Amino acid sequence: MYERYSRQMLFTPIGPSGQEKIRTKHVLMIGAGALGSSNGEILTRAGIGKLTIVDRDYVEASNLQRQQLYTEEDVERKLPKAVAAERRLKAINSDVDIRSIVGDATPEMLEELVKDIDLIIDATDNFETRMAINDISQKFQIPWIYGACVGSFGMSFTIIPGQTPCLNCLLKSIPVQGQTCDTVGIIAPTVQMVVAHQTAEALKILVEDWDAIRHSFVSFDLWRNQYSSIKMSKAKDEGCLSCGTARTYPYLEKENLMKSEVLCGRDTVQIRPSKHGEIDLNELSTHLSGLHYEVKGNPYLLSVEMGTNRMVIFKDGRALIHGTKDISQARSIYQRILG
Amino acid sequence: MNKILFFAHLKDAVGEEFIQMDVSGKKVSEVKELIAKEYQLGKLESAMAAINEEFSSDDDLIQSGDEIAFIPPVSGG
Repeated sequence: MYERYSRQMLFTPIGPSGQEKIRTKHVLMIGAGALGSSNGEILTRAGIGKLTIVDRDYVEASNLQRQQLYTEEDVERKLPKAVAAERRLKAINSDVDIRSIVGDATPEMLEELVKDIDLIIDATDNFETRMAINDISQKFQIPWIYGACVGSFGMSFTIIPGQTPCLNCLLKSIPVQGQTCDTVGIIAPTVQMVVAHQTAEALKILVEDWDAIRHSFVSFDLWRNQYSSIKMSKAKDEGCLSCGTARTYPYLEKENLMKSEVLCGRDTVQIRPSKHGEIDLNELSTHLSGLHYEVKGNPYLLSVEMGTNRMVIFKDGRALIHGTKDISQARSIYQRILG
Repeated sequence: MNKILFFAHLKDAVGEEFIQMDVSGKKVSEVKELIAKEYQLGKLESAMAAINEEFSSDDDLIQSGDEIAFIPPVSGG
């Protein structure tokens, strides 16, 4: 019955008992883009019990270079990524119970989903959602694995509540204007390298080999041949609001969330980010026009043409997304450019 | 003397993989300010800093010979 997993079971740290454990585990994966495609495929092939996938986007031609689960047909049909991923993964391994949810991974949704989850895989593309995952992880004592990449640069860190520092200990706040794949590009090997780190850690967690967990923060640049591994034992902050002694889980609080609202009768959604700090509009403008975006601006705002949508970004990070009434589409467009 | 390493887009902005500069006795936050000014880097504030491959906070003091690395968190996925 376990013939298909025989090579994984021959690997001593997993063995037959590890495989039994893997079969009973439920993984929640947030995002089904590049990191999600590859994480999802490896975990499905490894034979986990259940995989729940959340994603708000649909498949586009520019995804196919690196998002390994999707095909030209998915692009033609504009299938939601979560749905296309579920179909493909079920075809790969019918043992695994795969569920897909098309939508924004809001804190409310995450709180509902985590009830019987053993591990959360970060495959999202923005720090808003990651900080919410981080708080959920601490609140419900569920490990999660941060992974991110842009260009040829990638990074990963494993967060185990009660044992390791959390993402909020490291970052203190949401970084202003992180780089994204839509602004500086991405090559597929970077994705695979991040996912290799994430899924190796995932397997350790699923077989409960806690001593094997990597406690360092790993980052690498595959084009410039840089590798770095930073020890994190000093990073745990007792005053951290997500994992410290007086924790409040700030990224689950409504007033700290990114706010978005449909502007009546204007076919426009307004987004107000939770991060505070000014955006350097000049730098953003130079950067976006150097790619293939049509950008116009003045000292107060920047207007970016994006297909049928137009995004107007203000210095304080607020933005108007014209040409849509769909909040989750608008948030997706915003985070593609501003991270 | 100290070696200061840059990762990802910080490396492109500085134009070097690392620079040599004497910053001993300074706090990490002061070094960030110094370098941000010298190389006109707007985003150094949110970069993670490490001293001798160990995570460091803004208030940590740098000693002579320490190697400092600045790693910007990225969000793509």
